Amino acid sequence: MIDNFSILLSHVLLAIALWRLMNRPDLDHEDPPVQDEKPTGFGQRNRPVSNTRKAVPDA
Amino acid sequence: MRDLIFVAYIALIMLLAFKRPFLFTLVYAYVDIVSPQRLSYFLLNSVPLSLILFALAFLGFALGDDKKNVRISPRWFLLILLLGYCGYTTTVAVEPVAALDKWNWVWKALVFASFLPLTLHTRLRIEATVLTLVLCVSTLIVTGGIKTAAGGGGYGSLVILVDDNSGLFEGSIISCVAITIIPLILWLAKHGTVFKPEWKVRAYAACLIFACLLIPVGTQARTGIICIAVLGILLLRYVRHRMLYLGAVALVGLATVPFLPSSFTTRADTIKNYKADESASTRLAVWAWTWEYVKEHPLGGGFDVYRQNRIRYDMEQRASPDAPLPADLPAVREVVDEGRAFHSSYFEMLGEQGFPGLLMWLIIHFGGVWRMEAISRMYRKRNRPDEAWVAPLATALQNSQIVYLVGSLFVGIAFQTFFYMLIALQIGLDTYLARRRKEAAWLPLTSRRKLAQG
Repeated sequence: MIDNFSILLSHVLLAIALWRLMNRPDLDHEDPPVQDEKPTGFGQRNRPVSNTRKAVPDA
Repeated sequence: MRDLIFVAYIALIMLLAFKRPFLFTLVYAYVDIVSPQRLSYFLLNSVPLSLILFALAFLGFALGDDKKNVRISPRWFLLILLLGYCGYTTTVAVEPVAALDKWNWVWKALVFASFLPLTLHTRLRIEATVLTLVLCVSTLIVTGGIKTAAGGGGYGSLVILVDDNSGLFEGSIISCVAITIIPLILWLAKHGTVFKPEWKVRAYAACLIFACLLIPVGTQARTGIICIAVLGILLLRYVRHRMLYLGAVALVGLATVPFLPSSFTTRADTIKNYKADESASTRLAVWAWTWEYVKEHPLGGGFDVYRQNRIRYDMEQRASPDAPLPADLPAVREVVDEGRAFHSSYFEMLGEQGFPGLLMWLIIHFGGVWRMEAISRMYRKRNRPDEAWVAPLATALQNSQIVYLVGSLFVGIAFQTFFYMLIALQIGLDTYLARRRKEAAWLPLTSRRKLAQG
């Protein structure tokens, strides 16, 4: 009884998840990301100082 | 009846997957974790379900996916190398029949772990994989949690769906997995887009986490208790009100103890007095044997080499260090044993795959901890609203990994498929983010204008 309940619950949730995923276009294709406002990572070191904007402090 | 329902269910979800082939990858993960073949009696047992699903998932990837988004990482190469190396040690294994048996499922776990990151090239696919893993494991967790809450359970006696001591159905392994998925549940409850974070989702997540915490109580696996402690410490790092969190943990911990079955507290107590515990003494003896073995065979003995061990150790007779010793008993008793399993993933890797295998395994796993830390720090610093989900997911995957690495000190789960799926998720997340960062890379305004003009 408990086993059947557990199987039913998880399987229904999984089926709903798969159904929703099937209808989401962003599952296969995403829009390109918004351009960075300031250089990050390795890029930051290579840029001339004049090109870097003042960093926004972390929240 | 259950057979027919399972067949109908699998047919239904496969039908959905024909529209979006990536879903075959998720259905494969479902079959691998839940093992519906084991839950049914005849129909599903007669078809090679995993093989069919993997073939469909691969075809879906080969024909339907845009390969220009595929990226690989050094750890991905290591997975392939480990696969090849394990294949080699199987050919020279000292226990050829047993080794071949283990190889037959290990290669599938490693091949799927290598395949999965290639398909994870959108945020939704990464989330979908996390969600699928959690929901699949919840099939075992919900029933285990309810049975434990209703007073069932006991060491080796909590039956989760099937009375089978293999795969995720084994007590210590499901205890470790249950705690491992808690960070992922927390992430889904906050950043999920398939099930949006509303009160119903949060309530279900809370219930599921509670069920996860009950699993080590139900199975009375000491590994689970250690995993809970480790996760408690890890969560401390990012909680906003630390003192409040510590107070709540202490309160809940103290309030829970009277409700725990006495058999659980007795078993948990044996962690302190390991010298008089046969299970712990056997472990220490097997680990010593493994170390001596690899000193002579540095390339390991292949899968299941532990079957060769003959161990002899002394065990204290006192139940606790202060307990009086009966007059007619000697202080220590000699125990002789053979063919004892490793009971530790580290020694499992060392004994079976030798130093090269252990090294690869350590780099794959600890490399994951390091990469997730690097991603988490980088994205907290980037602080872009559209990337707010990244750092918490990296931290969740890192916490899961650390819980696994501590839990696997005492359980031989070096090749458990579920944990390789976590590794695959980490690699997929890492390569996906590297590509997105490149696409979003900052350019001086003049270059942007030039690009826009073509």
